[in-house]
Amino acid sequence: MRRPMIGLTSYAQHVRFGRNDMMAGMLPMTYVKAVHATGGRALLITPDDPGTDVLECLDGIVFTGGGDVDPAHYGAVPHPETEVDAVRDAAELMLMRAALAADLPVLGVCRGLQVMAVATGGALHQHLPDLINHDRHRAHAGTDPLAASAGDYGRHDVVTTPGSLACDLLGRRTSVNSFHHQAVADPGEFVATGWCPDDRVVEIIEHPGRGFALGVQWHPERTTDLRVFAALVQAALVNRAGPADRVAPVPGEVPAAV
Amino acid sequence: MRPIIGMTTYVMPASWGVWRDLPTTLIPYDYTAAVTEAGGRVVLLPPDDLDTDVLRMLDGLVVSGGPDIGPELYGAEPGPHTVTHPDRDAAEMPLLRAALDRDLPVLGVCRGMQLLVAASGGTLHQHLPDVLGHERHRVAPGVYSDHDAVFTPGSRIAGLMGADVTINCFHHQGVSDPGTLTVTGRAEDGLPEAVEDPERRFVLGVQWHPEVRRDRRLFGALVGAAAERI
Repeated sequence: MRRPMIGLTSYAQHVRFGRNDMMAGMLPMTYVKAVHATGGRALLITPDDPGTDVLECLDGIVFTGGGDVDPAHYGAVPHPETEVDAVRDAAELMLMRAALAADLPVLGVCRGLQVMAVATGGALHQHLPDLINHDRHRAHAGTDPLAASAGDYGRHDVVTTPGSLACDLLGRRTSVNSFHHQAVADPGEFVATGWCPDDRVVEIIEHPGRGFALGVQWHPERTTDLRVFAALVQAALVNRAGPADRVAPVPGEVPAAV
Repeated sequence: MRPIIGMTTYVMPASWGVWRDLPTTLIPYDYTAAVTEAGGRVVLLPPDDLDTDVLRMLDGLVVSGGPDIGPELYGAEPGPHTVTHPDRDAAEMPLLRAALDRDLPVLGVCRGMQLLVAASGGTLHQHLPDVLGHERHRVAPGVYSDHDAVFTPGSRIAGLMGADVTINCFHHQGVSDPGTLTVTGRAEDGLPEAVEDPERRFVLGVQWHPEVRRDRRLFGALVGAAAERI
């Protein structure tokens, strides 16, 4: 089978697993499963190795969730609740700009959406509870946001702009699972096309000048609603001729039609 | 651009930050750093996929360490000390076989070396203390033991290692029959520690852990062989 190669940005993170407690390149399996379930082939891109040459072997890329983007990248001083991941910032801002320049299909999830905004000159709200006086974008009312089980994610609706890519994919209104304490203040080169109707927090951005560049503030990979992943994989299939094979096909293997 | 080096990974429940025991695909950072420092670009390959189509985008492959391989891969019943991860076997064995069919440069580390042996028709000892009568290849949890290896003059590994033949071991299984591979390195007790396939461009398996020292001799050789494909 000849599937689109979908890169997933990943963490370089101190992590505990089994008897081990060490630095690892890693990513929750939910992202990997979402790509495979929608017909892509997941390759993880580690952030410890800045460079954009890896884009040459990809048909599409997902910028995954994680820690906050350093506010220095959008000219703000850090809020006390802001926890940055400088290694991922450096690698992902570079990759994002290169992916957009190449018009590679791009999906941003949570932090990934925020990287989209910041990489193109936008800015973030650093702590939503200061702005909207509630924390329901991280957890159900009355539950501990830091308990962080998927069942405790904040649930809310999102409404989309008619005629937008977001509306095409998700309809005028959908229900989502949020786990974020920051949000887009200025989407940069992107356009906001989806909001939480309760508080006007931006939940979807898209780039009007690119074939497929969509960011969502929630976590579709932790649900069964994988429509945005399916759309990325489809865009990766049709929007590009795709990178050339790096290895000659094995005799007997039938090359796919171009 | 740099050679793209695929790398197999673990899937384990992992904890970090506020997250507890999330199923996670991961690889110790030393592996990725060893490839980076040797001039390659790593992409991690989660074992959640049985298709080998990803190989068309790779210039080389690192089959990483981890739990024991399933003894059925070499025609044996599981012994009492054998701990396997069938999901990794199911994904990594077809990937490795397809990589060998394509003559993709392959470096197998520890478990990866053992997979190479099984893919080449060989067999493993399932618990070395039962065979050797000592535990010097895995002295304690999380502790590497240094050995002086003896390499076959003229072999690839002998040329790469040069005068420094110290190896760091952490394994309780070992090669019994190398199949179609050639044993080119042994520990002082005679146990195979390095295997090669002289018929292929670059197929090297080592029983020890060169990634811990980010050993550019071995990872550099893999990246060099991968670069020749670009």
